[in-house]
Formats: sequence, C-alpha cells, structure tokens
Amino acid sequence: MSFSAWLELLASGLITGGIYALVALGLNLQYGLMRILNIAHGEFLMVGAYLTWMAQTSLGLNPLFMVPVSFGMLFALGWVVHRLCFRRLTATSPNIDIFEARGLMVAFGLMFLVQNFASWMWGGDLRGYDFLTEPVEIPLPDGTAQFAGNKLLVFALALLFSGALIVLMRTTLLGKGVRALMQSPTGAQLMGINTRRLHPLMFGIGLGLSGVAGCLLSMSYTISPSMGEPYTVTALIVITLGGFGSMGGALAGGLLLGVIEALGMHFTNPSLKALLSYVVFISVLLLRPEGLFSRKSRKA
Amino acid sequence: MNSRQFLIRDLLVLFGLTGWAIALPGFASEFAVSMALTCLMYIALSSSWALFCGTTRYLSLATSAFFGIGAYTSAILLEQLSWVQAIALGSLIAAAVAVVMGAAVLHLRGTYFAVLTFGMTELIRHAISYFEKSVTGTVGRVLMVVPERDTIYFTVLALAVITVALSIAIRRTRFGLAMLGIGADEQRAQTLGVNTRWVKVAGFALTAAVAGAVGAAMSVRWTYIDPHTVFNPFIGFQTVLIALIGGAATLWGPLIAAIVFSVLAETLRLQVPQIYMMSLGLLLILSVLYLPGGLASLRTETFRSWRDGARLWWQETRDDLSGETKRRKEREKSLRERRDVF
Repeated sequence: MSFSAWLELLASGLITGGIYALVALGLNLQYGLMRILNIAHGEFLMVGAYLTWMAQTSLGLNPLFMVPVSFGMLFALGWVVHRLCFRRLTATSPNIDIFEARGLMVAFGLMFLVQNFASWMWGGDLRGYDFLTEPVEIPLPDGTAQFAGNKLLVFALALLFSGALIVLMRTTLLGKGVRALMQSPTGAQLMGINTRRLHPLMFGIGLGLSGVAGCLLSMSYTISPSMGEPYTVTALIVITLGGFGSMGGALAGGLLLGVIEALGMHFTNPSLKALLSYVVFISVLLLRPEGLFSRKSRKA
Repeated sequence: MNSRQFLIRDLLVLFGLTGWAIALPGFASEFAVSMALTCLMYIALSSSWALFCGTTRYLSLATSAFFGIGAYTSAILLEQLSWVQAIALGSLIAAAVAVVMGAAVLHLRGTYFAVLTFGMTELIRHAISYFEKSVTGTVGRVLMVVPERDTIYFTVLALAVITVALSIAIRRTRFGLAMLGIGADEQRAQTLGVNTRWVKVAGFALTAAVAGAVGAAMSVRWTYIDPHTVFNPFIGFQTVLIALIGGAATLWGPLIAAIVFSVLAETLRLQVPQIYMMSLGLLLILSVLYLPGGLASLRTETFRSWRDGARLWWQETRDDLSGETKRRKEREKSLRERRDVF
C-alpha cells in the first residue's frame, strides 16, 4: 500500500468518525449529566432528518438553513418530554439506580412511539435528496484523493459543533454548572445551581443536538424510519469509548471508531463492519468501563 | 393467608388455567389457537425473565439471543434428532451461552448490564449472519421436517406451565430467597453468606434455558428462519415490556400482561401495526411513571391515589390560571413583612 492510499483510508475513517462524534454529542450530554440513557436518541435524530427532508423537498429550503430550525424544534420537543416524563421520574425514584433503570424503560417507550409515529406519518420508504454531491479533489503527494462534498461539509460542521460544545463546557458559567452537576448533584445544588431549570435545558439541548445531527446526516445518506437504531448503538459505542459525560473523549472516541472501522473493513471484509464495532464496544465495556481516555476522576 | 395457603392458591390457579389451555384446540378456531400459542410463548418468556431479572433487578436484554440460539439449534438438528431431544439441546446450548455471558458481565450492574447484554445479542446475531453468509452460503434456513400444529401447541403449553411452576417453587427455596436478597441489597446478601456470583450465573442460565427451549419450539412454526427474524431484538424488548407492565417482581403479573398484550397485538396489528407499536410505547411510559409495581400491583387504593393526584393537579392548575397562587404568595409575603416590622 502506498503512502497516499494510507492517507486516503485514514481520511475516510476520520470523516466517518467525525459524523459518529456528532451523533454521540447529544446522548453524551443526556447520559453524562442526567443519567438518562436515552435509547430513543437515534429516533429523534431521524425526526430531525425527516424535518430537513420535508423542508428541502416541499418548501425548497436549503438544508443548511434547517440546522438551527431543527435544533430549535427538537429543543422544544425535548423540553416537553422532560416535563412530561422525566420530571415525575426524578421526583418519584428513591435512588439513582432505580432512576436509571426506569429512565431506560421510558426511553424504550419513547423509541417505539417516535419510530412508529414516523413510519405512520411518512411511510417506510427510503428517502433522500441531492445536496453538494459533486466530489472534491484533494491533492496528495502522489495523485489525488476524492471525497464527496457533502461528507466533507458534515465533517467540518461536526468538528465545529463538538469544538463549540467543549468550549462552552470549559469556559462559560453554564458549562461550569453542568460540570458541577456531573460531579455531584447534591453538592451542585448546595452551591446554588438550579437543577430544576438546568435539567430540562440540558435534556432539550441534547435532543436539539440529535436533531442537528439528523439534519446534517440527511445531506449525505438516505433516510428511513428505521435508521435510528444503528445510530443509537454507534452513539453508545462512542460515548463508552470516550467515557460517559466527557465531551473531548466523545470526539476522540468517535474519530477513533471511524478509523478502526475503516482499517478493519479494508483489511478484512466489509460485511464484518457491524461485528467489528460490537467487538470494540463489548471489549471496552468489559475491560475499561470508565472509558479509554479518562483518568480516575471524571473530567468534562 | 399464610404462605401455605398462598402455595395452594397459586397451584390451583395454575391447574385451572392449564386445563382450560389443554381443552382449547378441541373447540376453538385456527385463529384463536395461533393467538393462544403466541400468548403462551410470551408467558413462558416473560415469566422466566421475571424469575431472574425481576427478583435480582438485573435488567437483561439478551432474551432474543437465547431465543435465537434455541431456534437455530432445532432448525439445524431436527432432521437428525427427535422433537424432544432437539428442544432439550436448544435449551442446553442457550444455558451454556448464558453461563459464559453471565460469568463475563454479571459483575456489572444497572444500565451497564442492560447495554452489554444488548450489545452481546447484536454481536451474536451479526456473527451468525456472517457465518451463514460466508461458510454455509445461505441467508436463512427452510425447515423441512415440521411436527403437527397440536404438537407445537402442547410443547409450548408445557414449557409455559413448567416456567410458572418453577417460579412458584423457586420463590420458596433458598435459591429464590438469595435472588431476592441480591435484588434488595447485593452487598448485604454477600455479607450474609450468599454466594452471589454462583446464584446470579445459575439464575441467568435458568432464564436462558427456558428462552432457548421456547425458541426451539417456535422455530418450526415459522418454517423459514433467518438471523434477522429469530434474533430480532424486538422479541427481547417485548418480553421485558410485558414483564415490567405486568409487574416484574410478581408471580402472576407477567402472565396477565402477556394475555392482554397478545389480544391487543392480534386485534390492532392487522389493521394498523404502527398504532399498535405506538400504544405499546405509550403504555410502557405510563406504566413506568404511574404504576411502577406493574398491573399485578393494581388495587383499589391505586385508583384512589390517582384520583387524589389528579384532583390536586387540577386544583393547582386552576389556582395558577386564576391567579390564586400569585395572590396567596403575595398574602404570605405581606404577612412576613408585617412580622418583620415588629
């Protein structure tokens, strides 16, 4: 294998990995902060994708314009869902373990609800539209590499959003409050952080980010009501790799998973892709359940 | 009632239900029998799930893995072995897989355990579809030797009865009490001399054995199986759903919920499958929020507390909307201020 072929392989792995990191952002926020393992994450992503598709095909809007719109709509949806389900759950659960188990069940219910709502509303067909499909050539030392323009755009935006979220968590007062809440909910409350306001806000932001991810994914992949589950699993793998609740870890984990998959598929067999990602997932959970990059104490 | 009377009551109920189910193929239509078969399958699956996961509170999502393993075993071996042997072997292999899986993951609790069992199920499914594609060169398998409908029905009935009888019996043994102790407080159980590791692996293997046997018996009904249908994670989800909605810690809850679900499924699924699934999701959310003990914990007091809760909520909403809350707060504030003056 020549040097440029290696580079191309790595770059395609990194691009997929950037998308994985983007998919994982919202779930990471929800699980890391509130211990809500939102298994319906991919379903909300699918809703974002469908909203974009509808706006593009019936209204002719630019998909990029839909990024903030789908964030806003899913943010509102997340606020409502938190108010209807998780607020009562927090109030009635005796301890955090029971809350986690019940939250998982509620999320399962949401998954059934949203997925079937979508297939009832939009039908089970594969949908898609064309946006920036012409390849972009990138010169390399010997020859050129070609990547689809929309994938490069998605990669760039994924990096942008992850970076923005990391900066938000590290530097602002809001981020400080969120990190405090991750470390110790009781301690944060004693320091005057309003959990009743912060929890719905963060749940909404988590869903909003999944909407953004769906919006961006619909630019380069076909969408269907059943597309959510693989993305949920990918997001789970990524946040396990990076350590629950760690934003930088999720970005690194996503990129790493993309590269591992690209290399593994190149050297073995493309139909082993799903098998490979599950093997990575299970071995990380068994061997290093606190994440690949974390030291003993948790960092955001 | 004391514990002996409870035992007699449970056994009598089981006896009556069994007799009714045995008589069913004699008079009911083809459709009713096939519905009853689905119902019995979910009774066996969710009762066995509740037997281990309900008492120890280890949320396993691996039921579909064991179901699929059983189905594949009987699909491959039914041409060489007899019906009973194929089912026994299916349940043995599923139990063996569960022992290996349990030894690896049962030290993790809560969400980690749930997610890991789900991941392992998917891993097994992908591994088998890859194996079929690359080694045997097929996608699915067609079953040539198929026993009669009544044989399948009575086998699944026997499995369901055995499972319920097992859950009646195991609650009263040291083993069942040890599982309950693990569910309440694992460290305390360990301190009191329970070999928690052994108990957990044995309980997990027991659920897997039942699920494997049910899978082996049900695979012949479909006559064509592929990894996607028999390892369908939805089988596992629905088992967990039924057990939780019925009440995972109770004996009869999973059975009641399985009957409710099969009726609901058969009536709604044919016309509007999406509505069925949506109502499933809604039911799950409502039952987790308002009935965490499951259908079996439903009493008259439950309705009363719901009524009181709704009344309270309505009063608060009315006060908020009419400005009563604001006025009350102002009154309290002025009272406080007056007190501060003196």
